[in-house]
Amino acid sequence: MSFADFLFWIVALWTGLSAVMVVVTQNIVRAALWLLFTLAGTAGLFFLLGADFVGAVQLLVYVGGILILLVFGVMLTAQGPFVNLRAGAGEWAVSIVVGLLLLGLLVSAFLMTDWRFLPAQPPDPAHSRYVNDLGLALLGSRDATPPGTLPGAPGPEPAERSRVAYLLPFEIVSVHLLVVLIGAAYLARARRRRGART
Amino acid sequence: MLPTINLAELQSSLIAFAPELLLAGGIVVLLLLRMVPSLERLHLGYLALFVVVAALVASWIEWVNGEYDTRPAFAGMVTADALTVYMRLLLLGFTGLVIILTLLTGLPEREESCDFQVMLLGATLGMLLMCSATHLLMVYIAVEMASLPSYALAGFLKLRRQSSEAALKYVVYGGAASGVMLYGISLLAGRFGTGYLPEVAAGFAVAMQRGPVDAALLVGLLMILVGLAFKLSAVPFHFWCPDVFEGAAAEVGAFLSVASKGAAVALTGRFTLAMVGGLPNEWATPETWQGVAIYLGPALAFLAAITATFGNLAAYAQTNLKRLLAYSTIAHAGYMLMPLATLTREGLDAALFYLIAYLFMNLGAFAVVAILRDQTGTEDLSGYGGMIQRAPVLTVTMAVFLLSLVGLPPLMGYMVKFQIFAALWKSYQDFNNTGLVVLLVIGLLNTVISLFYYVRVLKVMIIDPVPEGTAGLVRIPSGQIIFVTLLAVVVTVGIVAWDPLALQGSGRAVSQFRPIKPAGAPSASAPAAAVSAR
Repeated sequence: MSFADFLFWIVALWTGLSAVMVVVTQNIVRAALWLLFTLAGTAGLFFLLGADFVGAVQLLVYVGGILILLVFGVMLTAQGPFVNLRAGAGEWAVSIVVGLLLLGLLVSAFLMTDWRFLPAQPPDPAHSRYVNDLGLALLGSRDATPPGTLPGAPGPEPAERSRVAYLLPFEIVSVHLLVVLIGAAYLARARRRRGART
Repeated sequence: MLPTINLAELQSSLIAFAPELLLAGGIVVLLLLRMVPSLERLHLGYLALFVVVAALVASWIEWVNGEYDTRPAFAGMVTADALTVYMRLLLLGFTGLVIILTLLTGLPEREESCDFQVMLLGATLGMLLMCSATHLLMVYIAVEMASLPSYALAGFLKLRRQSSEAALKYVVYGGAASGVMLYGISLLAGRFGTGYLPEVAAGFAVAMQRGPVDAALLVGLLMILVGLAFKLSAVPFHFWCPDVFEGAAAEVGAFLSVASKGAAVALTGRFTLAMVGGLPNEWATPETWQGVAIYLGPALAFLAAITATFGNLAAYAQTNLKRLLAYSTIAHAGYMLMPLATLTREGLDAALFYLIAYLFMNLGAFAVVAILRDQTGTEDLSGYGGMIQRAPVLTVTMAVFLLSLVGLPPLMGYMVKFQIFAALWKSYQDFNNTGLVVLLVIGLLNTVISLFYYVRVLKVMIIDPVPEGTAGLVRIPSGQIIFVTLLAVVVTVGIVAWDPLALQGSGRAVSQFRPIKPAGAPSASAPAAAVSAR
């Protein structure tokens, strides 16, 4: 077992354990804290896979931003009866059954899949990780999908993947965020004048 | 490495997507206008209407020119083909009608008109992108763009507890559904190293052909279908629909029931046709595509059958008119899924044609509910007793809309239902697929079942006595009367434009999809294989 394998098992076990604790803990503040460890562990897994950028984003956005908001929100609003969440036996039973079904589906899908036919690696895997390249891909001046062949294509010559660029998603999301911001502001603000509508 | 988007390509993409750009610009202008103090008294609904009409004119010019760029735009993210332009006409025209309705009923007051219209335009923009997406990433973003403003619109009546509850339920269900969909997308895109739809479809088909069963791919496909079924409010992912429609304003209900569902039908059609080889592809042979249709055809047929049946059966017990209409829209999602289950471009044509009539009749029914809510303050069926004496014009128009929803001739609902059943029958003849006849019979039975609850509403409105303690004649502004009357006239005489033997106007919208030819040997035709698997 190499050192990387050893690290992987440590991080993976810790992530899984904290995920279970999020569900099991009945105190909502503690659940939020366990969620912090889960998300940080996921970031560690990304780093171990060599996806530095995704790992950093995971840390910044989830661990840094969303979770801090969540913890503050929980601590400010959780009072008295809402600190402890108790689920009934029926709810436990239903959620366990649904969870096990989903787990069974995913595990069987994993086992029944022929993993030999995976997309070809980009010629220079280290290159595609650089933030610079990612930014260029978002602006459309560089391929978002590294050149490669489609896995499993028949025929003598492997089919090349089409080039795609993420210019449109990158730009259109800003319009989307603007609209959502307006919607959130509308829902959050107090009504100026009381109407008689029902 | 060469740049992926060169300037000429970017320019042609921007021109092809002028209607979407107009909407995005309109959103910004609406927001900026709120900052000018002298314009505070202006109702921004008119400006939003202007933006939508401008975008509609731009799409109309594209449609009349009839020259579509079927090449992918924006480096494979979207395409401005005939299907996109057709759906633009439909969705923008419908959004314009909804804005007119909100101006007539005064749903957003002047102070809130900016927020309402921005959310409406934002949701419409997302729906337009849903219809044109050719990349799985764009599919996900477009679905989110259509959904998130809809959540806020559902909770627009902030003073009403039910409305906030509806928005919350919508958010929770929608978030879960889009999470499942994203999981499915990641399974497919991760497997093929790209999210470009024709290539994902080709890779999928090859993997299916090569065998053994590739479970990760099937799970991915299933999860994407779950997300689409949520947007369609197909059973069993329909739970949000009645609650949201009951809580939200009737105008918002009309918008969600037609625009959101229409975009979902177009996206489902494009996605499923792509998965069975409807999009041009260089290297995949016709035999390649059989393996996917085996799973996709029966899955869609089953979804369509239970959605239509459940929607119609559940509508019986409803006493709230908006809830009843919500179950009716679920049933109609089932009808629209039926021709998609044939996995042919003629099937998609029938579903797209259905949307035209569905637009007018459903908008009309919701508009009548909205107007009567404003005047009588109730949405319960019991409060509508003897409405023929209190609001004769509205009752007659409501009768037209409801009978059209049933599909009775000579109303528009009849001609579109006829096209759907004709598409099923034709596909049965082409592919000798008995499953489609079963689906056809289920569709016919559902039409009969639906007659009962639609007519029950009419019975209450026309025959039942006026409930005690209610005022006499309901006063309705003439603008509202004219609006619903015009809709009813369209629903009544729309059949004049219909030629049952020819391709419909929507036929052009599916022209870019490769026809799936019925092969001589049953084993070589995909849908025939689909039924033998059942």
